[in-house]
Amino acid sequence: MFVIGLQHYLVVGAILFTLGALGIFLNRKNVIIILMSIELILLSVNVNLVAFSAYLNDIVGQVFALLVLTVAAAEAAIGLAILVAYFRNRGSIAVEDINLMKG
Amino acid sequence: MTALIQDYLPIVVFLAVAAAIGLALMAAPFFVAYKAPDAEKLSAYECGFNAFDDARMKFDVRFYLVAILFIIFDLEVAFLFPWAITLGELGTFGFWSMMVFLAVLTIGFIYEWRKGALEWD
Amino acid sequence: MNLTLPALGPALPEIVILVGALALLFLGAWRGEAARPVVDFGAILLLVLAGAIVVLLPGGTLSTFGGSFLLDPFARFLKILALAGAAAALLMSFDFLRAEKLERYEFGILVLTATAGMLVMISSNDLITLYLGVELMSLSLYVMAAIQRDSVRSTEAGLKYFVLGALSSGMLLYGASLVYGFTGTVGFPGIAAAAKAGSLGLVFGLVFLFAGLAFKVSAVPFHMWTPDVYEGAPTPVTAFFAAAPKVAGIAIFVRVAIDAFPNIVPQWQQIVIFLAIASMVLGAFAAIGQRNIKRLMAYSSIGHVGYTLVGLAAGTPAGVAGVLVYMAIYVAMTLGTFACILAMRRNGEAIEEIDELAGLARTQPMVAFLLGALLFSLAGIPPLAGFFAKFYVFLAAIEARLYALAVIGVVASVVGAYYYLRIVKLMYMDEPKAAFEPMARPLGFVLGITGLFVLLFFVYPAPLVAAAQAAAQSLF
Repeated sequence: MFVIGLQHYLVVGAILFTLGALGIFLNRKNVIIILMSIELILLSVNVNLVAFSAYLNDIVGQVFALLVLTVAAAEAAIGLAILVAYFRNRGSIAVEDINLMKG
Repeated sequence: MTALIQDYLPIVVFLAVAAAIGLALMAAPFFVAYKAPDAEKLSAYECGFNAFDDARMKFDVRFYLVAILFIIFDLEVAFLFPWAITLGELGTFGFWSMMVFLAVLTIGFIYEWRKGALEWD
Repeated sequence: MNLTLPALGPALPEIVILVGALALLFLGAWRGEAARPVVDFGAILLLVLAGAIVVLLPGGTLSTFGGSFLLDPFARFLKILALAGAAAALLMSFDFLRAEKLERYEFGILVLTATAGMLVMISSNDLITLYLGVELMSLSLYVMAAIQRDSVRSTEAGLKYFVLGALSSGMLLYGASLVYGFTGTVGFPGIAAAAKAGSLGLVFGLVFLFAGLAFKVSAVPFHMWTPDVYEGAPTPVTAFFAAAPKVAGIAIFVRVAIDAFPNIVPQWQQIVIFLAIASMVLGAFAAIGQRNIKRLMAYSSIGHVGYTLVGLAAGTPAGVAGVLVYMAIYVAMTLGTFACILAMRRNGEAIEEIDELAGLARTQPMVAFLLGALLFSLAGIPPLAGFFAKFYVFLAAIEARLYALAVIGVVASVVGAYYYLRIVKLMYMDEPKAAFEPMARPLGFVLGITGLFVLLFFVYPAPLVAAAQAAAQSLF
């Protein structure tokens, strides 16, 4: 009997989280991809929360997931707004060009 | 195992029907439609002009702004669904909590309106 | 299930600030920039009012919202500290922003929302409230870093802060989801009861949670955003970043470690020890070559976070009391130093090069004396306040038998003293450059108060230390 259990969801969550984190660090091209990676991380957390919520039979996890969802929207909006402001000044959103300050 | 797969059978049927209809509609013109191509018919039609430039151009940053403003109000509404289906059990306090939340959103909306973020120019 | 109104009293400071911020935002939206003086004044007034409410609320431990919000002496101490830091930073910002033509009424409102987020963090007693507070603070801070919209440096600082801050929020959340899953609850008391012995999933969650928190307080190895953001953001924003959010970050660090995981101390203690050592050492060595004073202050703040975490690593009431004393003195020293940095203006332009401070003792002797005292204090030289701050945390570490940690801390502060003393030498020994413009009155006010506090702390340290000890005791 093959049953999809908690650990399968956790593995999916872990894979998504890793993909998101790698997407932030390995991506050299475009800041928009970083924003997408951030969303991926937050969604992996939601997979975890909902899986735990179902497993524990406890509604709190789903409430948490709903909160994460809406906060993620606010975060994405602010990120895009800052990106637009940056693009207006610099004329580029390539990751390599974000290098005015270092050291 | 079989029980699990049987649970998903309606989805498989749905996918099959959707694919069949889609493919049929795409394939039908090849067999049924009347074909007589010439240069004018094949050229891009832009109100009588030739196309000005490539379709894959950078587009106006103001589209981003509209999208940004939309996404906030769009997703905050996610809180309304669980509230709406349990409203009968929530009582006065539950009702007014959501009203406070909506009032906060409205102040944000007024701010964005007065700032001129909704104007195109 | 008919919900009833929870007791709102314990959360009154947050409610006052948020309702006030919304009212001011409404006013600003209606009247435009003409409302700015009212908004600025109202923002300061709201912060002071919130502080007064924190003091006047009935004593002891108050809890509300189903136990997810806690107002205990620990929260009170740090809330007053965060509110004072925010109010002073806001007060110092006005003249600078006016001179740089950055004045916007949104600035005061962003300070208010960020401060409300900090207060929620400090009072949070479960993971959801913690996340809510962290995000309310962080989202406001991202916007503040990028508030100079037409400057590449400011928007770049905002972008970097946003990307790394969002990553840290993601790690914090991932840790929170694992902790929730393996303990079955989000409340800190419930987690403390469930988190008994070594469950691997719980330890994973703990590590992610602490990594996210380390980002927020900029502890090494999660510090890489700090120098860039401190340098790029407008100076008043940097002053705010260095003071108030650190208090909230350290507060939630202590709260999570002591309240939620009291039964698995060895697991988190080694993480905190590593963070502390790495932060102290990097803060001391990386600051040596810096020429930009805001960047120097960034490395300085990284080092000070390391010293603060030494107190947490001890994990005892004495250690937490040391953390609280350290934060109070750190906020005072940072605000005073930034008052001087904000006053570094010549011909209407802000100056950030350390070398430009040369000979300040001859052009502005009083400012140079107070800045010198603050720098000596940051270096931890007795009998100034900074020495006592370090003394209490190192003493707690030794009592907890963390000898190596204390020794490394002392060595790091000796190395760190070099770059502070270099500035003092510049001010007193080198040939003077052209004088700065006279200091604006609010800056002089903050500098005077913090300078006197740092100089005279040793005369009568008892009230602060006693308050910190009482606050720390309430956690155990």
